[in-house]
Amino acid sequence: MHPIDEYIQLETRRQFFGRGAKGLGLAALGSLMGANALPAGAATGAASTGRPDVPHFKPKAKRAIYLFMSGAPAQMDMYDYKPKMADWFDKDLPDSVRKGQRLTTMTSGQSRFPIAPSIYKFKQYGQSGAWISDLLPYTASMADDLAIVKTVHTEAINHDPAITYIQTGRQIPGQPSLGAWLSYGLGSMNNDLPSFIVMNATWTAKRDAQALYNRLWGSGFLASKHAGAMLRRTGDPVLYLRNPAGVSDAVRQRMIKSVNRMNERLYKEVGDPETHTRIAQYEMAGRMQHSIPDLVDLRDEPKHILDMYGPDVHKAGTFARSCLLARRMMERDVRFVQVFHRGWDQHGALPRDLPLQCRDIDQPSHALIQDLKQRGLLDDTLVVWGGEFGRTVYCQGKLTKTNYGRDHHPRCFTIWMAGAGIKGGVVHGETDDFSYNIVQDPVHIRDLNATILHTLGIDHERMSVKHQGLDVRLTGVEQATPIWPIMT
Amino acid sequence: MIERRKSIGRFRLARGVGVVLAGWAVCIFASPGSAAVEFARDIRPILSDNCFACHGPDAKHRKADLRLDTEAGLLAVRPGDSPRPAAVVPGKPDQSLLFQRITHADPDKRMPHKSSGKKLSPAQIGLIKRWIEEGATWQGHWAFITPTRPKLPDVGNDPWVRTQIDRFVLARLKAKGVQPKDEAERRALIRRVTFDLTGMPPTVREVEAFVNDKSADAYEKVVDRLLASPRFGEHMTRYWLDLARYGDTHGLHLDNYREMWPYRDWVINAFNANKRYDRFVIEQLAGDLLPNATLDDKVASGFNRAHVTTAEGGSIKEEVYVRNVVDRVSTTATVFMGLTAGCAVCHDHKFDPLTMRDYYGLFAYFNSLDGNPMDGNRKDPAPVERVPTAEQKQRIKTLNAQLAQVDADIRGKVAQVKYVEPVAPSEAEPPKPVEVVWIDDAAPGGANLQGNTPWQWVTKDKHPVFSGNRATRRQAKGLSQHFFDGAKSPLRVGKGDKLFAYVYLDPKDPPKEIMLQWNSGQWMHRAYWGQNVIPWGADNSTQRRPMGKLPKAGEWVRLEVDAQHVGLNPGALINGWAFTQHDGTVYWDKAGIVTMTDQKPAFDSLKRWVVYERSLPKPSMAASHAAVAAIVKLDDAKLNDAQRKQLTGYFIEYVYSGSRETFEPLHKRQADLKRQVTDIEKSYATTLVFKELAKPRDAFILKRGEYDQRGDKVGRATPEFLPPMAEGLPNNRLGFAKWLVDPSHPLTARVAVNRYWQQLFGVGLVKTSEDFGSQGEPPSHPQLLDWLAVDFRESGWDVKRMMKQLVMSATYRQSAKATPAQYKADPENRMLARGPRFRLDAEMLRDQALAVADLLVEKIGGPSVKPPQPDGLWFAVGYSGSNTVRFKADTDDKIYRRSVYTFWKRTSPPPQMTAFDARSREECTPRRERTNTAMQALLLMNEPQYFEAGRRLAEAAMRSGNNPKARVAFMIQKALKRPATARDFDDLLGDHAFFQSVYLKDPESAKALIAVGESKPDASLNPGELAALTMVASTIMNSDEFVTKP
Repeated sequence: MHPIDEYIQLETRRQFFGRGAKGLGLAALGSLMGANALPAGAATGAASTGRPDVPHFKPKAKRAIYLFMSGAPAQMDMYDYKPKMADWFDKDLPDSVRKGQRLTTMTSGQSRFPIAPSIYKFKQYGQSGAWISDLLPYTASMADDLAIVKTVHTEAINHDPAITYIQTGRQIPGQPSLGAWLSYGLGSMNNDLPSFIVMNATWTAKRDAQALYNRLWGSGFLASKHAGAMLRRTGDPVLYLRNPAGVSDAVRQRMIKSVNRMNERLYKEVGDPETHTRIAQYEMAGRMQHSIPDLVDLRDEPKHILDMYGPDVHKAGTFARSCLLARRMMERDVRFVQVFHRGWDQHGALPRDLPLQCRDIDQPSHALIQDLKQRGLLDDTLVVWGGEFGRTVYCQGKLTKTNYGRDHHPRCFTIWMAGAGIKGGVVHGETDDFSYNIVQDPVHIRDLNATILHTLGIDHERMSVKHQGLDVRLTGVEQATPIWPIMT
Repeated sequence: MIERRKSIGRFRLARGVGVVLAGWAVCIFASPGSAAVEFARDIRPILSDNCFACHGPDAKHRKADLRLDTEAGLLAVRPGDSPRPAAVVPGKPDQSLLFQRITHADPDKRMPHKSSGKKLSPAQIGLIKRWIEEGATWQGHWAFITPTRPKLPDVGNDPWVRTQIDRFVLARLKAKGVQPKDEAERRALIRRVTFDLTGMPPTVREVEAFVNDKSADAYEKVVDRLLASPRFGEHMTRYWLDLARYGDTHGLHLDNYREMWPYRDWVINAFNANKRYDRFVIEQLAGDLLPNATLDDKVASGFNRAHVTTAEGGSIKEEVYVRNVVDRVSTTATVFMGLTAGCAVCHDHKFDPLTMRDYYGLFAYFNSLDGNPMDGNRKDPAPVERVPTAEQKQRIKTLNAQLAQVDADIRGKVAQVKYVEPVAPSEAEPPKPVEVVWIDDAAPGGANLQGNTPWQWVTKDKHPVFSGNRATRRQAKGLSQHFFDGAKSPLRVGKGDKLFAYVYLDPKDPPKEIMLQWNSGQWMHRAYWGQNVIPWGADNSTQRRPMGKLPKAGEWVRLEVDAQHVGLNPGALINGWAFTQHDGTVYWDKAGIVTMTDQKPAFDSLKRWVVYERSLPKPSMAASHAAVAAIVKLDDAKLNDAQRKQLTGYFIEYVYSGSRETFEPLHKRQADLKRQVTDIEKSYATTLVFKELAKPRDAFILKRGEYDQRGDKVGRATPEFLPPMAEGLPNNRLGFAKWLVDPSHPLTARVAVNRYWQQLFGVGLVKTSEDFGSQGEPPSHPQLLDWLAVDFRESGWDVKRMMKQLVMSATYRQSAKATPAQYKADPENRMLARGPRFRLDAEMLRDQALAVADLLVEKIGGPSVKPPQPDGLWFAVGYSGSNTVRFKADTDDKIYRRSVYTFWKRTSPPPQMTAFDARSREECTPRRERTNTAMQALLLMNEPQYFEAGRRLAEAAMRSGNNPKARVAFMIQKALKRPATARDFDDLLGDHAFFQSVYLKDPESAKALIAVGESKPDASLNPGELAALTMVASTIMNSDEFVTKP
């Protein structure tokens, strides 16, 4: 049995807390401790406030979800329709297109660069007439909710630097991640849950998946409390959340009370305000022991909602389950949720693996947007979908009519955004016939991050922290501009 | 030559600056708290933060040709076609451009320009105005001027003062009208200083001894004891590993295992041996370049190999090379000079006078590593050194002594044999078939071992072995084999000879087929058992003979093959043997030939032997006897005495039938010892080191820091704004390292002592311990910092002395008890009006828990260890093909080692450490944050090892006393190092009664509770009582008092 399910069943059996009392809150704890035990200020929790100057202006979005496709999805097989390539099968990519572009050393040694046209059919959808491939029927059906950006670009050409770059603003480790910046800047809206939660979904492509790194949701040089809390698919949903075996909730509450009483006494003796903060943190820990199981307990989800997300929703750790959990987090005002889905690195056997990957994400992404929308949450929630770079139109490895692979391509790739602050039914930017170079409206990954920050009420230029003598920003030192045309 | 000249010019410049500055130094240092505005303290930080980005050192991006970071730029009339007035006119704010523009009415003209997002506060504008009014005295940046020993502040005969340090602190406090605290209570004090010098708590006995020691030097004795403890080195190393970005994996992409722990052990030993800091610096930056560099020196040079590396498919070598060097330069600058050099990778530094040329001048010192920039996903990407442990060294020493003994024995016995050439050599007796064992525990001499995977030798303890100490084992999917050729003494095949080998098939995993193959110059002789699935050679010929069914599995079976049956006819020489299989698990042992042909003929006549040797295609002796091989070929008459003696000696030892019985056992023993030596040497740990290319790589300025945008070629050079390298130093890393520790260097000593201060007081005298540049915070006590820096340097860079000096001060020994208002007024304790009190670091917390539970296993050094962590953390992020994708916890003692030995996977570092602000070690970390979070509370309450520690504490309490009060008192004493008070009992006895009521009624929960952790609960104790008391122990171990340095 899955540990989380097991936990829920155990809780039910024990009936320590009826469902109504699950969110045993501060008030209840306070009364356990006696009226005077609670220090002033502890009630708000230390993690709840952001930076005083933030938001810089009225935000469109209060929270956000980032669906991250790690490995780099092939844009020309999904969104960037290139019909002319049909005539280019197995012909060499013209040098005039490549323009000496640097290649990874996986294909720089290839004697030729034969073009592999997408084998997938594309149709136009919605008012915008967005071209979307048959791999994504559900996503296609919500074309008018999305702003599709086909011209995102980066400089990094390998996974580790590229994903570190888009997540932290720098290719080498050490900087805070996007979510950490948001937690630091905006603070938390829910005292009982972390402000930044990360999920790491399972995937079905059959090849080795690229690694992820804790730094991708790390706090860099910011305080470690801003790091993303990993909601795990095995064991405790949050590290060390569950009591040791044999420790019931009543015993735990009594112990927290006891610890805090000792600390309160020590505070009177020594006077260090950190002792008070610790009292508040122990209270929050106690609350999290209920709020998180409550968050992951899906028994209150009706069948029609579960069905929306597709059959995978019944399996722990899937992208579908993660999307449903992300919606539940939005309901609970978690500030930022990031779902990592791996397996998109189709160097070979793309026709075998890409449909599997698309199937993983298509219906759940659609369900997430529709579910948020029907609850009115999409009005103040931003959703972003995308990877770390794109893939080449030319084939890596052996090209046949039915099989091909694609190498890394930093010069253009497709992402989409939806929800608060974003215009629906927009396609932004254009690439050349080869999906190789951008011909109109380039969007650097810095611009993308500036857009996300802006939507949440943050001016990316003003959101800086002094570190090693520099004003460090998520968007770095070079020019970055939000993608105004897709923003409301 | 060009560089040398440049240096001289620079020296003049630096001296000039010094003269200008002499005046201000007195002013800033002599009157702490003076009301006068001081440029260095008050104005430069404002200008740096708000103006330097456009009007600073970066010439390329400088606006309006206005420069505010130099004296000339601020105060001189600006040159040009039509000279413009100075930016600052002393005494006249209204005539000063600087003041005009920061107060300009037009928001478009007001500075800082609105596009910068910067804004000056009215207070800052006021300060600038006052500074101009007071005469606009300019001062250089304090940190770039060599410190001199300042005069001690006069604080009278204040009894609070214990050391010179205290004079500086007290002077500042007095100026502010603040009283320092008295000395902390002894129990708090010894707990604090023991944590600070060893990273561990004191024992109860140590505490009580100190409390009861009435001698005047009681505290000093404690300090001396702690400094002499090997725990000191482990503790100091823990901080250094953050700086050195030490980890046990590469850190990028696959993030495979990377072996470097001998470097970590070097650091521990360096601290424990109290290595001078200047040597510590030199050996780490250039140990490999020292004359007659020792293995230790080379290991130390691993400092600049510890950075993250990659072998990601697709990476461009040149790009990775540049990244690696940039990391080395930036880390070196940060760690030793407190400079944020990284900025100058792409452009001249915006705030400090570090140009791109300076940066790439440093780059040129560190770019010539003799090794591939890509790590190959190997644990030992070259250059590496193999490093024996003390234990291994001892074993080798013993074995070598034994070998020497055997050698001496042989030599002695050779000398005793009086060989006389027989008049009539005896006719050989008619030969009888004998079994000649060729392979047993080892392949024959000269054999070149090969295979699909290396030869796997297994021993009796875990595997079947037929003969001797070992057998070979092979587990295969499909076709697989191990074999050798090139044996020095081939098997000589005679008529009717049989080849044999012993085989054991694993009954659980039998092969489809096994095959033996022999090499007679060619691999053309094969015999197989089982299915005919290995397709080599013409079927059913001497090239592939079927021998019937597979032998019985689960027992040793002797296989025999007639040599002629596989085409090995009399006279053939076999030099190679292959053990081949398809699928399954197969063991092989003892193999050879049953023959009537003498394999290594014994001769009773030297002459006959020489004739025989000459008949061989090449002489039979091993390479080590090449001299004898040469002599054998010479005409007997031409031999001199020495040669004759050598030949005879060899003959007696190896060939002479009269002495074979004497020497054969000795030779076997010799071979056995040699093999043991080789085996141990092969198991040495490796560690990454620095090694310079014979011909240095060229270095170039890289435009915008891009690896492929080469600009001017640059030579090795230290930055222009710092004192020049002394004459006579080599212009390489060694010279660079020596330049760093030259007494003229303004930064090295300051940066080091500031970090020691930070370690003890939580915040450095310079808070930004990583940045002493103009964007860093100025020191809270500049004189004290300089005094410490000079004292450190002049003491011979004596680290233990410095640490002692700091902890002996009254400043350090103050009580941390204060009013909330006092804490609020100075939350970071920058004024030092109370003792340092803050939450223990991750490693100290865990070590403390293990220590009070008597679980800690103390052993210095060795491979990193993996205490348990929640399942799936590595797997959730790891590359499927990485060798660290799955975490497997260690067992036994290894999980209770000090945290400095915990295995550090850099893309998923140990959660017990990161939850408490340890960083990933992907880059240099000069200081950690210190947060206070709910996640930490969850960890301390629920992490199995912490919880287990609580149970162990409870067990000890139960064994020591038989009532709840005594047990609680025991636990308070053991955990908090003080006697329990009435309030403790008030707090905890009621809880204990509650827990007891729960667990006595619910023995199942109690048993589950006390079973948490790897150690077994004490079965003699009542589970319900133990569970209840464990909860009280866990309560105490979660208290602020427990997790905080008092």
